[in-house]
Amino acid sequence: MINTITSLQLLRSVFNPQEIFSGLAGTEPAPGRILLRYTLWLLLLPPLFSLIGGYTFGWRLGAAQPLMFPVGTLLLISVAYFIVLVFGFVSTAIISRWMASTYGASDALGLHFALVGIVGEPLALASVAHLFPDVFFNVLVMIPAMIWSMYLLYTGIPVVLGIPPERGMLMASSLVGWLLVAAVSLLGLTMGLWVAGVGPALAV
Amino acid sequence: MATTQQYYYDNVVKQLVLFSVFWAVVAMAVGVYISAELIWPTIDFGQPWLSFGRLRPLHTNGIIFGFGVSALMATAFYSVQRTSHVPLFAPRLAWFICYAWQLLILLGGLSLLAGWTSSKEYAELEWPFDIAIAILWVSFGIIFFCTIARRKIKPIYISNWFYGALIIVIAMLHIVNSLAIPVSLNKSYSIYAGAQDAIVQWWYGHNAVGFLLTGGFLGMMYYFLPKHSGRPIWSYKLSVVAFWAFTYSYIWAGPHHLHYSAIPEWVQSLAVVMSLILLAPSWATMVNGVMTVSGAWEKLKTDPALKFIVLSLAFYGLATFEGPMMSIRAVNVVSHFTDWTVGHVHSGALGWNAMITYGTFYFLIPRLVGAELYSVRMANAHFWLALGGTMLYIISMWAAGVSQGLLWLSVDETGELSYSFNDIMASMAPYYALRLVAGLVFLLGTVLMAWNFYMTIKGRETVKMQPPPLDPVYGVATGGATRPAAGAAPGIAAGVTS
Repeated sequence: MINTITSLQLLRSVFNPQEIFSGLAGTEPAPGRILLRYTLWLLLLPPLFSLIGGYTFGWRLGAAQPLMFPVGTLLLISVAYFIVLVFGFVSTAIISRWMASTYGASDALGLHFALVGIVGEPLALASVAHLFPDVFFNVLVMIPAMIWSMYLLYTGIPVVLGIPPERGMLMASSLVGWLLVAAVSLLGLTMGLWVAGVGPALAV
Repeated sequence: MATTQQYYYDNVVKQLVLFSVFWAVVAMAVGVYISAELIWPTIDFGQPWLSFGRLRPLHTNGIIFGFGVSALMATAFYSVQRTSHVPLFAPRLAWFICYAWQLLILLGGLSLLAGWTSSKEYAELEWPFDIAIAILWVSFGIIFFCTIARRKIKPIYISNWFYGALIIVIAMLHIVNSLAIPVSLNKSYSIYAGAQDAIVQWWYGHNAVGFLLTGGFLGMMYYFLPKHSGRPIWSYKLSVVAFWAFTYSYIWAGPHHLHYSAIPEWVQSLAVVMSLILLAPSWATMVNGVMTVSGAWEKLKTDPALKFIVLSLAFYGLATFEGPMMSIRAVNVVSHFTDWTVGHVHSGALGWNAMITYGTFYFLIPRLVGAELYSVRMANAHFWLALGGTMLYIISMWAAGVSQGLLWLSVDETGELSYSFNDIMASMAPYYALRLVAGLVFLLGTVLMAWNFYMTIKGRETVKMQPPPLDPVYGVATGGATRPAAGAAPGIAAGVTS
């Protein structure tokens, strides 16, 4: 039994998830500790890579010339990106815990933080593609990462939260619904910020 | 009163299901072909009938009216008999509608290939077909409502309210929007002009999405989900409240398709407000569905159909959130006319409509012929192909759409547009290639399902089923009980006993 997970375990969970999932099952790690010590740095990676990539190469959306931005604008975008990711991480963990009673799963908040951290990790690591912010290249890299994340979600929930696989499937599908909504919200929020003048100059 | 000689008319249901699967394969294949045309435009081989402009309405009409409406007629006929405990009213008329509708889709499709079009989206068929649609649709309504009128159960189960709304509202939308002055057999002009024409068209277009692709399929969900999971609807009251809220708010939302156009701004604003309000009944329905199925998790071990239904609810949640969000002007100014809209439509069409229909058909076909599904393994493979295809489709169109919106509106320091339209569209080929793969994956799953059904029904007759002689909870002969027994929602009567 372990009461928390280490950064090394978190990394290993990407490639050998079952062992880490089994180790987490039945424990009650502290949510704040999971967030501040083990997952915050993962959430920092995408905005950081995005900042470096945007400054070095500009946004490449397929057209001939990349969109180049001043450092201030890029910093603003990265800070907003980070805030949204932290909000997304915490809200997903809280919603997962909220769903737990419906599916008879463990309601230890720390477990949900750890689970969401592990599930999101492939996406955070794959965000290294942001270093070259060509949209299509990023789509190609992120799709396999997303598939792996979904695999971790579907296989992790029953083991970590101690419920039968069929119930886990239902809970994972409900969370997928929430994550899809969160993803599209991120798009909508981004459009709103662009139109409000944060980011690229648009003729609106 | 039902007698022992009476049987449900399920042959017509089976036939409509098979037609629906046929149109799914054909219309999805056309969709795959036109997605390839966007990458390799020369594969129209210079033939007008193979051009994108003619094949695209064939794809949308084939899916909505061929696949979708055939499925809705099949499931409405199946469920209204069982929730009313009487056989179908006028079965010969039902057979006539079954075949006449398919003939209409076939001839209508050929007319689109020939270039006959009213140019109204989702209402492209010319006036002779519009008249035929109106006649068949009203006949569909006669069968449905007369069956309900002869019911042996006092309450009208919630699925019938949704199917009823589908029939009434689509008749109203179709007839009003199709009013036109014919000038020849293949050409007519709408009686509306300019901005009024646009408003009427999108009042039709958006509510075709609302009452056919949403309301009709919710009727399907409200019958087959409880039936399938063996549990009553989680909250019957919520389903009724959501129905009226849905019906009231949807009808106003059409003008959000016309932002920044010549229609009055207050009409656009009203549409945004109503679109946002619409989120409440949509998500209430989603929660009702999810909570209903949550107690039936044991069935997932053996039942591939339930997986489709569970996932369809997740995509229903996505599509009904994304739609109101895209109606907000600050989002719409970027998203409108881009492939994001195409992705949004397909998150609903593939993730919600197709998946709930597939789940329902996997439930129906074995029961209709009294046999096990030919291959559960094949059905499970279909599930993952459908999920993978849908996700890939949505993601590729999100990326393409946001890129298009951003590039189209980007200006340089002098205020000039930074990029040309042609250059932007030429750079979309990689996303379209991903979308083509997504379409192929989804189509492959549908073909697997068609084969699975063919092998399941091969050489088998439709099982004859009888209505129960007396409904245990609501039977009129029990002294006119009109309220549910303690702790029993009407879903019990409709969902379990019959």
